[in-house]
Amino acid sequence: MILLELDGVTKKFGGLTAVNKLTTTVQKGEILGIIGPNGAGKTTVFNLISGFLKPSEGSIRFKGEDITRLEPNQICRFGVSRTFQIAKPFGNITTLENVMIGAFNRAKDVGEGARIADRVLERTLLSSKRNALAKNLSVPERKRLELAKALATAPEILMLDEPMGGLTPTEIDKMTELLLDVHKEGIAILIIEHVLQAVMNLSHRIVVLNYGVKIAEGEPTEIGKNSGVIEAYLGEEYVFPSR
Amino acid sequence: MRESRSLRPFYCLICAALAVATVPLFVSSDYFLTVFISVLYGVYLCICWNLVFGYTGLFSLCHQAFLGIGAYTSTVLYLNHKLSPWLGMFVGAFLSTALAVGLTFVCYRYRVKGLFFGIVTLAFAFVIQNLVMSWDYVHAAVGISLVQMDAPWDYYFMERSPYYWIILFLVVIALAVTFFIERSYIGYYLKAIREDEDAAEALGVPSSRYKILVMAVSAFLISLGGTFYAQFYMYIHPENVLSFGPMVTMQVGTMAGGAGTLLGPVIGWTFFGFFDEALSWLPIGSLSTATITRITYGVILMTIVIFLPTGMVGLAKRLSVILRIRSRRYSGE
Repeated sequence: MILLELDGVTKKFGGLTAVNKLTTTVQKGEILGIIGPNGAGKTTVFNLISGFLKPSEGSIRFKGEDITRLEPNQICRFGVSRTFQIAKPFGNITTLENVMIGAFNRAKDVGEGARIADRVLERTLLSSKRNALAKNLSVPERKRLELAKALATAPEILMLDEPMGGLTPTEIDKMTELLLDVHKEGIAILIIEHVLQAVMNLSHRIVVLNYGVKIAEGEPTEIGKNSGVIEAYLGEEYVFPSR
Repeated sequence: MRESRSLRPFYCLICAALAVATVPLFVSSDYFLTVFISVLYGVYLCICWNLVFGYTGLFSLCHQAFLGIGAYTSTVLYLNHKLSPWLGMFVGAFLSTALAVGLTFVCYRYRVKGLFFGIVTLAFAFVIQNLVMSWDYVHAAVGISLVQMDAPWDYYFMERSPYYWIILFLVVIALAVTFFIERSYIGYYLKAIREDEDAAEALGVPSSRYKILVMAVSAFLISLGGTFYAQFYMYIHPENVLSFGPMVTMQVGTMAGGAGTLLGPVIGWTFFGFFDEALSWLPIGSLSTATITRITYGVILMTIVIFLPTGMVGLAKRLSVILRIRSRRYSGE
């Protein structure tokens, strides 16, 4: 079943075409990776889907409904939730309260919001930081908080903008495990990532962007060998580490 | 613990208010009652502004306009149409609310945020002030003087004490509104908007709707304060209710006490209100008290913003944490 459909989505900033006629889909329960060099338009795609930017042309549909012109908060309520590349914690309130704000999408009152938030904190290994101000969290904790906030909204599609950026290999493994756990629940994941090993292992399918144009789409094994992708981004053939 | 649903703070608030309400029974001096009333009035303004600035992070610089609209509307309606200020104050409040909604909506529509919101609202306040200044129907730059009389149904009292109870009641209402907003999901939404509007939107917070809501509530409340000012001080002029003066009160009281906390504005302005009065007792040579007051406020506001951004409430919290750690250390060893 198709959850999200991008149909000829184009975004122009003045003379610059940041995203050019992008057409792709996200299936239910799928993990779709988006890779490409810096400035390829990956984050712009996220901003377009989540409503922070409006496309110059084309349309975006979620479960068949047109969400192209909706506001970010409405899109979130549809079940499309995103994180930001540079974590945006609500610094002067506690970690729990940060997550509660997402939970109010489905909680009827503050008590229920707190219960949902506590469950999410436990899953994302943040329970010990429950009452700490979010501005006092470390970088890996902030990354997990981004994920926790988005998860609390009970999304059907989770859009993650570089969730592994700035993490150490151990932390990357931890995050990968978390994401696989989320995926098991049937939540589709759309992930932008530069940590190739993570994105190649996680994704079912990968879309490669370069100068706003989709230059390849397919399974990670095909993408790793694709000569256009190697030239534009990978530099050399991507060899999957043997297990 | 933080998300506890207990109503205890609310009951404490009511008890404290009842205690404070007995003051006129003991204090017969008109002078002291006037001082208390003026302090409570300042506290009320601070609470109203705190909702917008402290909780939501909206740097509104036009609350003096809503204050003035409240004062002028009820007064003009009474003088020209014999409408009791008890009713007129709601006309003024609804007018202020409508303007606040309109202004905030326009700012949302054209994506005016942060400091630019402050500039737009400040300009709005100047426009209102200068309109009134040159509008003969509302006595333009002459201002409107009222005459004291015994007419409780028209919001006029011979004694000071009824005014004291009215402004105390307003303070309690404003605190209760803040309290119930803070503990509902709306309070969480407002704080999220204050901390990061984009992140809030991404989590499903309809930020524009809540910004408009909080401006509307705040404008409504502060407008009632405007009517109180007119009835108590009996003289309104574009230079008192519509000027930047009350805005300074709101900023000093809220920031000094602790923006975004329930009791911050109360503590902040109780301190500064009495401080203000105490200054007038000082023998000060050639400088006027007003000048001294303004200089002191300026210095204090700068100091607080630089060194104590969380205000007195924040300082108290920090001290209590330090003390708790200390006592734990001593008892532990």
